[in-house]
Amino acid sequence: MISTSLQTLRETMAFPPTWIPASPQWGNFVEAMNAGPFLTYFKNSVVVTGSILILQFLVMIPAAYAFAKYKFPGKTVLFGMILLAFMIPGQVTFIPVYLMMAEWGLVKTLLPQVIPFVSNAFGIFLLRQYFMQIPEEIIEAARLDNASEFNIMRKIMIPMSGPALATIALFSFVSHWNDYFWPLVMTDSAEVRPLTLGIAMLRETEGISNWHIIMAGNVMLVVPILLVYLFCSKHIVKAFVYSGIK
Amino acid sequence: MKSKWFTLLSIMVLFSLLAACGGGGGSTANTGNTGSAGESPGNGAAEAPSGGEGVTTVQFWHSLGGKNGEYMDALIQRFNESHEDIEVVGTFQGSYDETVTKLQQAIASGTGPDVSMLERAYVQMFADAEVLEDLTPYLEQSGISADDFTPGLMGHSYFNDKLVSLPLNRSTPILHVNKTLLDELGLSVPTTWEEMKEVANALVVKEGNEFKRYGVSMPYDTWYPIAMISQAGGTFFNEDNTSIGFGDNGAGEKVFSYLKDLQSTGALYYPPAQDSGNIVNSMFVEGKVGMIFQSTGSIGGLASTVDFDYVTAFLPKDEVHANPTGGANVTLLSSSKNKDAAWEFIRWMEMEEEGGLEFILQSGYLPFTKQMVESAKMQELWAKEPNRKVAYDQLEFAVDTNKDVAWPEIMHEFFSAIEAIMYDSKDIPSTLDTFKKETERILAQ
Repeated sequence: MISTSLQTLRETMAFPPTWIPASPQWGNFVEAMNAGPFLTYFKNSVVVTGSILILQFLVMIPAAYAFAKYKFPGKTVLFGMILLAFMIPGQVTFIPVYLMMAEWGLVKTLLPQVIPFVSNAFGIFLLRQYFMQIPEEIIEAARLDNASEFNIMRKIMIPMSGPALATIALFSFVSHWNDYFWPLVMTDSAEVRPLTLGIAMLRETEGISNWHIIMAGNVMLVVPILLVYLFCSKHIVKAFVYSGIK
Repeated sequence: MKSKWFTLLSIMVLFSLLAACGGGGGSTANTGNTGSAGESPGNGAAEAPSGGEGVTTVQFWHSLGGKNGEYMDALIQRFNESHEDIEVVGTFQGSYDETVTKLQQAIASGTGPDVSMLERAYVQMFADAEVLEDLTPYLEQSGISADDFTPGLMGHSYFNDKLVSLPLNRSTPILHVNKTLLDELGLSVPTTWEEMKEVANALVVKEGNEFKRYGVSMPYDTWYPIAMISQAGGTFFNEDNTSIGFGDNGAGEKVFSYLKDLQSTGALYYPPAQDSGNIVNSMFVEGKVGMIFQSTGSIGGLASTVDFDYVTAFLPKDEVHANPTGGANVTLLSSSKNKDAAWEFIRWMEMEEEGGLEFILQSGYLPFTKQMVESAKMQELWAKEPNRKVAYDQLEFAVDTNKDVAWPEIMHEFFSAIEAIMYDSKDIPSTLDTFKKETERILAQ
């Protein structure tokens, strides 16, 4: 991909493919950038994925904690519903969600890209399994010391489930950063669209695709993912090293 | 332990700060519907309802990306600069199919655009749903006659005698030829199926069991089989649209056995379904195949990348010359609240010199009015690039035989039939028979 992003159009079409471009075409990146308001797209991508991450954690951690450590009526039914939720693909729900968003006049904002993802069923499920492994005794001890439920979550549950949280964060980030279908159907104007749609605009409808320009765009799309991955993977390793109690 | 999570949290807070200062402007303006400031020029204008400052906003959805998208943006900009009271906001809505999906849900929820590009084969479907405005009164009001348009491109514009769309970025399949290769072998450009068979076979280079060069190729698409069916004297649908029109007269069988015959000797390379257009193009550029059936939309790109003598020609004929057309039309939606402004945009784009003509010259799509064809600029371009004129001349033989409300659904069945025959070498008569039954079932609904 990086190789293609530095080739000329003639080189991208060569067969067998060349690996090292004869003379790197850095201009491809400039051309890709000039094809649209890429700073806006980039900002939108960051805002949308960032907000989703924060809101998901705010909802997911208390929910998973409740499911893991509390007994209340209807718990199994509720949990079953959450499992069902993560089995329904987005393609099934997009029309009702779109109609709802249109009704509320939100289709020209960033919100329809965030709201439907605030609760992350997969995350709740994974985190609950993780919380359940944490011994009841630790929580009991904390309660005896008059710790509030919020503090138990913040000081015990969260630090002890580092790997799970990092994994969920990574999955969630990658899937929303790369999402194409949802932002396309949910937004009606270029100002609120993310980077993936910007890259799609580089593609030719008919005629010859400028692969070198498209790949330059893709490099810009993927670099942030690699950075986040590097950041998260460090924490995953660390969390494994430090989580002593088993 | 704790510090680690604080780093993560602080980064999240950073994200949310960005969200607050970045997205805030847009979203508060929306919820509050103040529509006053509008620091970002595009968004601010789009938000303002038609009353503000006497500027009417026209939403225009299109499916043009890449270079063609840039040419379309330039067209919109030219329009906005020459019209003080109208602002057209063009939005790219993905591929033709994705635009259709978007339109369906947007129209249903009352958030549709005023003007939309629509792939020609979908015009019937939307017209049937009565969401497209009849353009006849608008044409009359502006003193335009339907005869002003290129006849070969008007096939998909009418529905129940109503004019519901006008041609915009239209294309047609033609034969692209590596003239250098043909000259080396002393061959001339084929004009009939028989000649094509000879030329394609002569071009084949086989070393051991491996083909080094094929004769002819075409992307995996319904377009090319439909062209050939018409050339063999068939029509896609029968006259009263109750069944297919190429089953009983043997045209379908003739086309596919011709293709299979070519395929068996390496004279035809039939590409894999995924990304077939690009595969075919790059094989042509590399000299791995001598001729390709491909859209006129590829002329510009091919001409600038090949290093051999490249010419275009009519698709070879069998019984008759015939070719379908492709690309998209422009439509005015009935739900539009600014129909007059929207029509002004369409009229300007279709008729004015600095409107569509400039776009057609840049992009290489077919000129869609007689005035464009006669214009000095077009004639000049054709004199310089005769390859482009070929496509226009071929429109004399344009046919639109796959016109029906149910076409998008039947298209999928036709693809399955093509796959069964071209990839799995299934028996041709029985495959076409299954397809015929399936078509009749869908058409009877």
